[in-house]
Amino acid sequence: MAIHLRTPALLMAVSAALLAQPTVAPTGEPVGRARGEDWNGYNVTNSFELGARYHTVNGNEAAYRSDVNFGNGLRLLGSTLSLNSKEGRGGLFDEILLNTQGLGNDPYQFSSLRIQHNRWYRYDMNWRVNDFVNPGLNFLPSAHTQNTRRMWQDHDVTLLPAFPFQFLAGYSRNSQEGVGLYTQNLFDQHRGDEFPLFANINRRQREFRLGTQVQYRKLKLILLRGWQRYEEDSPLSLAAGAGLNAADNTTLTSFRLTSPYSGDTPFWRANLFGEAGRWLAVNARFSYAGTRRDFASEEAAIGTSRLGAATNRQFFAGGTGTRPVTNANFTISLFPADAVTITNHTAFHQIQMDGNATLTQVQNGFTGANILNFRHLGIRSMVNTTDALLRPAKWLGLRAGYQFSTRRIRSVEAETVGTFSDRLDYEQTNRVHAGLLGVRLQPVKPLTFNFDLEMGRADRPFLTLSERNYNAFGARAQYKQGSLLLSAAVRTNYNTNSVSLFSHSSHSRNYALDASWTPRRWFAFDAGYGKQHLDTLTGIAYFASGQFLDTQNSLYVSNVHSGHAMARFSVAGRVDLSFGYSRVQDTGDGRAALALSTNRAFPDVQVLPLAFDSPQARVSIRLHQQIRLNFGYQYYRYAEDFSALRDYRAHTGFTSVLWSF
Amino acid sequence: MLLLCLRLPLQAAQPPLTPNSTGYVGSNACKTCHADVWSNFYKNPHYKSIALGAESPEKTGCESCHGPAKAHVEARGGKTTIPRAFSLMPAGQALNTCLACHEKSISRAQIRRSSHTQADVACNSCHSIHKPAVAKSLLAKQQTNLCYGCHNSARSQFAMPHKHRVNEGAVQCIDCHNPHGSPAAAWRSGLRPRMVETTMDGEQPCLRCHTDKRGPFVFEHAAIRVEGCETCHAPHGSMNPRMLRRPAVFTLCLECHNGASGFGLSRDGIPLQTSSHNVNDPRYRNCVTCHVRIHGSNSDPRFLR
Repeated sequence: MAIHLRTPALLMAVSAALLAQPTVAPTGEPVGRARGEDWNGYNVTNSFELGARYHTVNGNEAAYRSDVNFGNGLRLLGSTLSLNSKEGRGGLFDEILLNTQGLGNDPYQFSSLRIQHNRWYRYDMNWRVNDFVNPGLNFLPSAHTQNTRRMWQDHDVTLLPAFPFQFLAGYSRNSQEGVGLYTQNLFDQHRGDEFPLFANINRRQREFRLGTQVQYRKLKLILLRGWQRYEEDSPLSLAAGAGLNAADNTTLTSFRLTSPYSGDTPFWRANLFGEAGRWLAVNARFSYAGTRRDFASEEAAIGTSRLGAATNRQFFAGGTGTRPVTNANFTISLFPADAVTITNHTAFHQIQMDGNATLTQVQNGFTGANILNFRHLGIRSMVNTTDALLRPAKWLGLRAGYQFSTRRIRSVEAETVGTFSDRLDYEQTNRVHAGLLGVRLQPVKPLTFNFDLEMGRADRPFLTLSERNYNAFGARAQYKQGSLLLSAAVRTNYNTNSVSLFSHSSHSRNYALDASWTPRRWFAFDAGYGKQHLDTLTGIAYFASGQFLDTQNSLYVSNVHSGHAMARFSVAGRVDLSFGYSRVQDTGDGRAALALSTNRAFPDVQVLPLAFDSPQARVSIRLHQQIRLNFGYQYYRYAEDFSALRDYRAHTGFTSVLWSF
Repeated sequence: MLLLCLRLPLQAAQPPLTPNSTGYVGSNACKTCHADVWSNFYKNPHYKSIALGAESPEKTGCESCHGPAKAHVEARGGKTTIPRAFSLMPAGQALNTCLACHEKSISRAQIRRSSHTQADVACNSCHSIHKPAVAKSLLAKQQTNLCYGCHNSARSQFAMPHKHRVNEGAVQCIDCHNPHGSPAAAWRSGLRPRMVETTMDGEQPCLRCHTDKRGPFVFEHAAIRVEGCETCHAPHGSMNPRMLRRPAVFTLCLECHNGASGFGLSRDGIPLQTSSHNVNDPRYRNCVTCHVRIHGSNSDPRFLR
């Protein structure tokens, strides 16, 4: 029996390890025979990979930490633990399932845990950490950086999961903490200076949920009540005395900014499902969340103005923002015949953002007028979609759809300065008609073709870049025979958004070819190539050296070629070797050097040609039926064609021991 | 009411593994030949139907999915004698079989209109009931690899230098997408995206993690609220820093802020920069140096603080 189970399990693990462009660790190699130990009525499986990573970086280390960020040291690269009751009637639990990755030292760590008793409860937990460095943009001045840790956790409990009446409870937490550098323009908004400021970033959101689920015959109702609490207090303080504008004499000797921002979002959510016979299914969903957040801001800056005069400025702001969101949708599915499905979906969404703010500024002891602001932005959308799916034969599938959507946008901008008041009200409605056609063909069992085309027309796009007259075409061919998988895909998205004195067009074309093959237990291969082309041409207007220029275009061209290949060999069932290579290269429009136009502030064609590649190799040696020793190496190279400021080369590696049963 | 609800499953505490007159033979008959499947089936979530013994024969064990096995047993095996053999089923039939039990969940509420269903990607395209590589959700492969199998271009995007950390394991496709289909997006007006998992409030999924960008702010950047984060960012990955859609910030901003009539809140054009800006000076090419609160501000309508 063990032999029968081992082969497919091994093949599955091999194909799983190959299809992605993974990081070199954790290993993911199988160990030994079919696993599991029986203990006290439970079957226990365990896998535990402990190892150390190491790395060296040449070039821009901040960029490496932004893109890759693996460091040195010991960590639990990956682990799994499962306990299953053999009869499905355990005492305190029937199943425990624990998965972890990178615990202890990796920049990307997660763990998930499920504990359940088939009859009484189910508990799910997800926990994640992401250490992230944001080195700022590679265009000067580039002072916005962050070195923060984000942490997410979700806990969900279901009581009585096997019964028609269930209780639900949950808790989530999302936090971001760390340090950052920001900039702020001080004393003179246009001619002044921008100063780098130190930020102590501290944001967190907690959510509590309580609910119930009731099923009666073919009806099921889910009700959920929840509360969110958001808190942010990321004080800014002076990081340096000199500003970023070398041509300006403004100095800053003291600065402090405190802006606590917090609020609650109580919400209701309801879902109703129903069926009638074998020809109808309905789903109705409603949610309402009413957010209110309060803020206060106090800023104090002391320095000298650009003319050398002593200057100080204080600024106070306080107010409240509200954001009620109502969302409802209704879906009805009809099955008039076995081969026909018709679905109609209606969605309503309304969001209203209101804000009141009082702003006061004191400059050089002179108190300016209180400024009272009221802002409203309301968006209400209605969407109705009908889809029909017809399968007249096993080898043929046809689909068609039509959607109408209407969106009303209202805004109010009101301001009171002293005794003077001003108010602007705007309202507009945008409508979109879109249609979809699709065909699926399967002339022989291993070969499938899929084609789809969506066309849409918008009467009043909101932005210059929005979709107006657009079409999206996709085609895919897939051949799957045994362990051989070949696929090819193409997708195009074209949009033209032009009015009398303005034009915008975008064309994107994606092509992909992939192959995956596992001909033998000891050999597997996976490779792919993709090309993503994008060109956008947009009319722009701006000021340069006091001159207003409004007849120019912004042209962006990107041609991204990506490829990956990976091969895995198993030698004598004891040593696994894998080699992989991944490369992404943007060739721009093919030019070799950045050419600035003589009369424009930017190049005629915006491009950012660069290459990012990463070869890797791994050796995994089975020392024992339950133990493996692993070594891996992965190289990262980032190289821009026009500038070396952000370039880096990194050597990373790991050594680990994998123990499993 | 609670007692009434509890009463029903508690009454039948023994698995109905015995034959009856409707063609159901019980799972005990199956394990005689299919010992390889049965030996690990207790780890499968579907085993609950046997362990709890609360359901009728047509909803219990092997026959709940594969149908009554009497004919199969009498024929001494053979795929064609299995009433519901998934490897022989058209995609639509496989979907209907699974949805007989699994339709009434929030995450699968839109499955009938999802792009996967429309392209005949049925449940068993991604889930392996008897040989799952991932025990949770019975996935046939590790989740990211499943998606990459068809979505080739997504693999390329996540290999770019600036991306969400999917290959590294920090983010999963299902954090932002629902492979079972989603309601109509509130931040876009076309048929796409169909598979982006909205929040329960119908908003874009970015706001679930990036809670600081959600607001409300007194001064909202309307582009974000009306057209979504994708206006400026490529959510899978980008060759440009911060996953921006353009390599230079100021051209990204200027492509909207060009004053072209007919666009923006007022439809008089999205505001131009003022004449004090000199784009020939590099100082003015990174707009967020001064407009630091570009996602929304409580203190300044131009997002300066």
